[in-house]
Amino acid sequence: MKVDATVKKETLYIFGSCLILSVVMELVFWLCGHMDYTVPLGNLFGVIIAVLNFFLMGLTIQNSIGLDEKAASEKLKLSQRLRMLMVIALAAIGLALSCFNSLAVVIPLFFPRIGIAFRPLVDKSMKEEPAQDDDQIMD
Amino acid sequence: MELAIGIILAGCAIGAGLALIAGIGPGIGEGNAVAKACEAIGRQPESKGAVTSTMIMGCAIAETTGLYGLVIGILLIFVAPNLFVNILKKAVGK
Repeated sequence: MKVDATVKKETLYIFGSCLILSVVMELVFWLCGHMDYTVPLGNLFGVIIAVLNFFLMGLTIQNSIGLDEKAASEKLKLSQRLRMLMVIALAAIGLALSCFNSLAVVIPLFFPRIGIAFRPLVDKSMKEEPAQDDDQIMD
Repeated sequence: MELAIGIILAGCAIGAGLALIAGIGPGIGEGNAVAKACEAIGRQPESKGAVTSTMIMGCAIAETTGLYGLVIGILLIFVAPNLFVNILKKAVGK
């Protein structure tokens, strides 16, 4: 199955924002004096869950676009339930294993939401850059 | 004491179950969003990329609501029982 370019682009954006926010989170852990090997491991595990969930959602949307309205709606509902079960199971594993810091597993689940909240700023700055180039060419 | 601990554990389990009800809403919302997006793409096929991109972001935002409930449920199962039992033990010890 071929992955749509839009899904790839958005997943990469979410992955990038998760990486940036992970660095911020680890800095906060370090400043609070709670930094040990469980924090990066838990962080990695949490980011994998968040990005995998987002990617699977994108794949489901990609596949449901060609369907009729009712079938697409049902497909996404089923996908959401299955993905939620996957997140519950993986988060429970992350919390149960002592090699992962519990907070570092749970917090990255919200990173995609934070990344999307900053999306308008990123889009705006990316649109402004070519405009400046155009001005230079005009000069 | 054992009865009180039992009530705490039962309360946490019931609370976690109630919190996970929040997982139902995003599924319905995402389903409706995709249905309308399919309709929009059917009407204007050239806008497929823009509609898909916006829809993915919208669905991710909707999904977060379910994740809030999930995290509350996880905290109620893994963190709250120990916390409340310790508080109870301290209160009884006093």
